[in-house]
Amino acid sequence: MTMVVPIGPQHPALKEPEYFRFEVKGEEIVDVDIYFGYAHRGIEETLARRNYKHNIYLSERICGICNICHSTCYCQAVERVAGIEPPERAKYIRSLILELERIHSHMLWLAVAAHEIGFDTLFMLAMRDREHVMDMREIISGGRVHSATNTIGGVRRDVTPEQIPKLMEKLDKLEESVKYYINLFQTDRTIKSRCANVGVLTKEDAIKLCAVGPVARASGVKTDIRVEDPYAAYPNLSFEVITEDDGDVLAKGMVRLREMLESIKMSRQILRELPSGPLRVPVDLKIPPNEAVQRVEAPRGELLYYIRSNGTEMPERVRVRTPTYASAPSLKPMFVGGTVAEIPIVLWSLDVCFACNDRVTLVDAKTGKVSVVTMEELRRWRK
Amino acid sequence: MVKILPKVLANLLRKPFTVKYPYEKVEPADGYRGKPSITKEKCIRCWQCIRACPDRAISVDKETKTPVIWLGRCTFCGECAEACPTKAIVMTKNFEFLDQYEK
Repeated sequence: MTMVVPIGPQHPALKEPEYFRFEVKGEEIVDVDIYFGYAHRGIEETLARRNYKHNIYLSERICGICNICHSTCYCQAVERVAGIEPPERAKYIRSLILELERIHSHMLWLAVAAHEIGFDTLFMLAMRDREHVMDMREIISGGRVHSATNTIGGVRRDVTPEQIPKLMEKLDKLEESVKYYINLFQTDRTIKSRCANVGVLTKEDAIKLCAVGPVARASGVKTDIRVEDPYAAYPNLSFEVITEDDGDVLAKGMVRLREMLESIKMSRQILRELPSGPLRVPVDLKIPPNEAVQRVEAPRGELLYYIRSNGTEMPERVRVRTPTYASAPSLKPMFVGGTVAEIPIVLWSLDVCFACNDRVTLVDAKTGKVSVVTMEELRRWRK
Repeated sequence: MVKILPKVLANLLRKPFTVKYPYEKVEPADGYRGKPSITKEKCIRCWQCIRACPDRAISVDKETKTPVIWLGRCTFCGECAEACPTKAIVMTKNFEFLDQYEK
């Protein structure tokens, strides 16, 4: 006898509207259906109706947490379509804000993960230290969350020599606290008992289900767009791709924490080696017919933009594939076999971002069953 | 128990990390993109700001023939301040206006 436990679309455990239908046998999860699409906003269609320059700010608003990844990916795709190359200094500043975003996103992950396992002291500490990154972002871009720094053909704002000592000081503080968290994750009894051997994704499953980003790296798959398809200043920076072998929640946390250390190291290198030169090149926005694909390693994994131009100031088609969408199928092997109490932390171990995700409606069919979409349902979705 | 005592004492004696915000102001960093302000005398009516605005938040005031910004739509990107040839529009550090209705 199995019972169905629906979680969502509105549920206090989830911060965003998403529907999970858990089939449970006592405490054990037997099956899970994932229904996406509650936060659909029609952004891809809107992107095709505005001009290239106005689209930068719309693409930033696909996701608030990874707004710089979205705008960088969009700008790089347009630059590729138009066949222009941004200046070296712009590339370095882009990499700097991208790395700061990675730190802040992982810090937020740590805070909410601590909250999900009932460790609210760590939540407070992580949020306190995240403030250093937010301050750095404010100094560099002029806004705490939305940077508005990227533009087509370069960046809009410069990092001045007076800002660098301030940034370095904050990076030192951050490094100290991240090292403390790594030590905490390795030794603390509460974290170990809640996270170890929970929500395991094996290496075979990770490859089979095409997991991306930290989720895949925690299962031992060495994948990173910064290495595989280098963009911005990453070919000139030295960093290592962090992997863990266990694939459980603890490993996913360790990957993120160690990635933060790498990001801090990279930010220091960028601030030391910042080349001089212009910030942006002028662009003619009437781009002749062409198409391009650009990939960026967002904090959650691979982000993909496809742009097709048609000779006007507006793109003909923009396709966005966000990391949560790519990683969503791997939720199933992580849930099945676990208990109901594990649901929040396992879900959060993927670092789900549904606001990014919901530009498509996806229905996972139950094993052995094919779900048929009726005309009635299609009509309902269209509205 | 004895091991945590120094930490407890240090935490008791240190200052809190938060500030009492409405009573204690925190100055944003230089170059913060706050409320945009328009100097009407400097405006040369080239309407570059209207072209640059990604949110169509800027319109023309019928009486004074100068641009006005609808703050409910503005996303504070600073494109208008960048586009303005006479620096009539600048981004100020003011962020404490969102509770006031303004059109």
